[in-house]
Amino acid sequence: MTGAIVDLSRRPAPADLTAEICIVGSGSAGATAAWDLAAAGRDVVVLEEGGDTTGARLTQRDGRMYDQLYMDRAGRATSDLSVSVLQGRVLGGGGVINACDVVPIHDGVLRHWQRRWGLSDWSPEALRPFRDRALADLSASRPDASDETLFNKNNRILRRGTEALGWRGEVMLHNRVGCAGVGTCLIGCPLDAKRNPRFVAIPAAVAAGARFFTRARAVRIEGADGETKTVRVRRLDADGYREQGELAVRARVVILAANAVASAQLLLRSGIGNAHVGRHLSLQPQLPVVAWLGEEVRFFRGIPQSWAVTQFEEQDHPEHGWWGFRVEAIGATPGIVASILPALGAAGKAQMRRYPQVAAALCLLPDEPHGSVEVERSGRLRIHYALADEQRRRYREAAKAAARIYLAAGAREVMISVVPAVTVRSEADLARIDAIPFLPATVPFISAHQQGGVRMAPSERDGATDPEGRVYGTRDVLVFDSGGYPTSASSHTMAPIMTGAHYLSARLLARLPR
Amino acid sequence: MSGPIFSRRRFLGISLTAGGVLLAGGGGLLWLRGRAPRVLGLRCLTAHEYRTMSQLALALFPEGGAFPGGAAEVDLARLFDGFLADEPEWNRSDLKKGLVLLEYGPLLFERRFATFSHLSPEERLRHFERWTEGSLVRRQVATALRKFLSLVFYDRPEVWPHIGYDGPLVEGERP
Repeated sequence: MTGAIVDLSRRPAPADLTAEICIVGSGSAGATAAWDLAAAGRDVVVLEEGGDTTGARLTQRDGRMYDQLYMDRAGRATSDLSVSVLQGRVLGGGGVINACDVVPIHDGVLRHWQRRWGLSDWSPEALRPFRDRALADLSASRPDASDETLFNKNNRILRRGTEALGWRGEVMLHNRVGCAGVGTCLIGCPLDAKRNPRFVAIPAAVAAGARFFTRARAVRIEGADGETKTVRVRRLDADGYREQGELAVRARVVILAANAVASAQLLLRSGIGNAHVGRHLSLQPQLPVVAWLGEEVRFFRGIPQSWAVTQFEEQDHPEHGWWGFRVEAIGATPGIVASILPALGAAGKAQMRRYPQVAAALCLLPDEPHGSVEVERSGRLRIHYALADEQRRRYREAAKAAARIYLAAGAREVMISVVPAVTVRSEADLARIDAIPFLPATVPFISAHQQGGVRMAPSERDGATDPEGRVYGTRDVLVFDSGGYPTSASSHTMAPIMTGAHYLSARLLARLPR
Repeated sequence: MSGPIFSRRRFLGISLTAGGVLLAGGGGLLWLRGRAPRVLGLRCLTAHEYRTMSQLALALFPEGGAFPGGAAEVDLARLFDGFLADEPEWNRSDLKKGLVLLEYGPLLFERRFATFSHLSPEERLRHFERWTEGSLVRRQVATALRKFLSLVFYDRPEVWPHIGYDGPLVEGERP
């Protein structure tokens, strides 16, 4: 089979397709699996709803890029609009639009999954070679913290405050090679300096014969319990706005790798699986905190996210695995910043006038997997998620920690970007954060690391798939993405997802007859 | 943007209230809304919805202040119309309902005999600010509309010199 990347928005439409393995989604899970399976001589087709956008087509402009690179044109959100649910919709998936953070799945989390969730085969020892492989795929390294172009002032401020308090932190691993500090990682790198699936797994998979189809929306899986499954696919137009025709992919194995939300959504649309499908969703909403130090920061240049405060996180929590919280620096382009800062009217313009002076961080918290995915009869997706009281408490603790770091770094003003805004100018003001109620739709929460929704479990009673990703009640319909995770794997999911996809691909190859 | 604005049950409740008020007031309330200037070339917004969105944009991004220029320089409502036209029907419908609610907001939520478009610019801003802290449905509408307008307003090269942003560093395709 000759590998290729085919844009389905182009006419004429291809005829129906046949493959041994059909993978839905081309991100960290789908591209990785396609590479492993094609390299093993399997006939693989990959369906990707987004387009193939690289190099100069990544224009560094908020409007067009959020529209084109993110699911639902970056408008996906929980049903009460409390959490913006960010998910890549582009060939290469989330790796194209993330901040290149490489945080491997911790041994403590795997031990927790074994102990609490019965995933006995997911041991640190069993996963280690696949984790090493994922880190190699990503060319994972730590940026040079002495290079001020890359390790920018925003990250240095956060580091300075962390160290002034004597707290623990680290320069994070990343997957950039040839980075020039453009700073627009969240809307794609025009220099193609990310060693993400688009530039590693996908070319390798194509070379091994895998066929990738972009602007291909998988809408339904039929015959899930039979030998041959049919995946119904709608061709999209060039912008991905409208469906313009249908085709079918027939395959013996169907692998869902479309992200925790979208894989659950496709199963629900198809009427496949048990009552656990769509449940146990984790969103890990991130809370922005901004600060002004009376100096120019220009957080929109350099690596947006390099410094992580790890003082308050636990990797081996007996009840949760990964728990506590992290604080990480972040930078962003003007449109997104303006939509997060709370002031409106002339005050809003005055706030944006200080855009180059903004220092910013995100509070990252693991959560209990208590959200859910629903597909209404109309086909409309609903993501249900409500903060638990325990989460609100940890958000307050995390916000206070971030504020203390900025104050220690010399900030004149720290703002928790809630409505109404809470401003801290000294340690004495920290108690104001305790009064933040975190009501729905008053906080610009961002979810970039969705997990769960198709939980793995050794028994059908406790989960939607078995520990090898097979959806209960089907014959080789599998889930390879973070949908299977029983709890949060990590603060950043790209490396864990690639690790899992390598592992699950090896398990599949070991039992799949020729 | 394209997230669902509110639950069907909640919207039904608001709609029934609004419907009751409209029925009770009959033509008088429609008279209160007044005529909206005809706008050519709209893809999905009505002239009244366009007017509401335009007035909101002018309130959020007024002329002058910290830097020159504002929503008067760019037709944000038309950009919203173009965005909505390419959205799924359910999101288009939600956001259009949100605009209707906003227009009747002073009457429905503050018992003022006025509609949003007929408030003074300062009153419009204060009214919208109260929405960001008001009931859930108002917060949801405010979140959705504000997010779109902010993203589009600050994505323009004309604004960047005023906020110290030097724009794309790498020559790319024109958007």
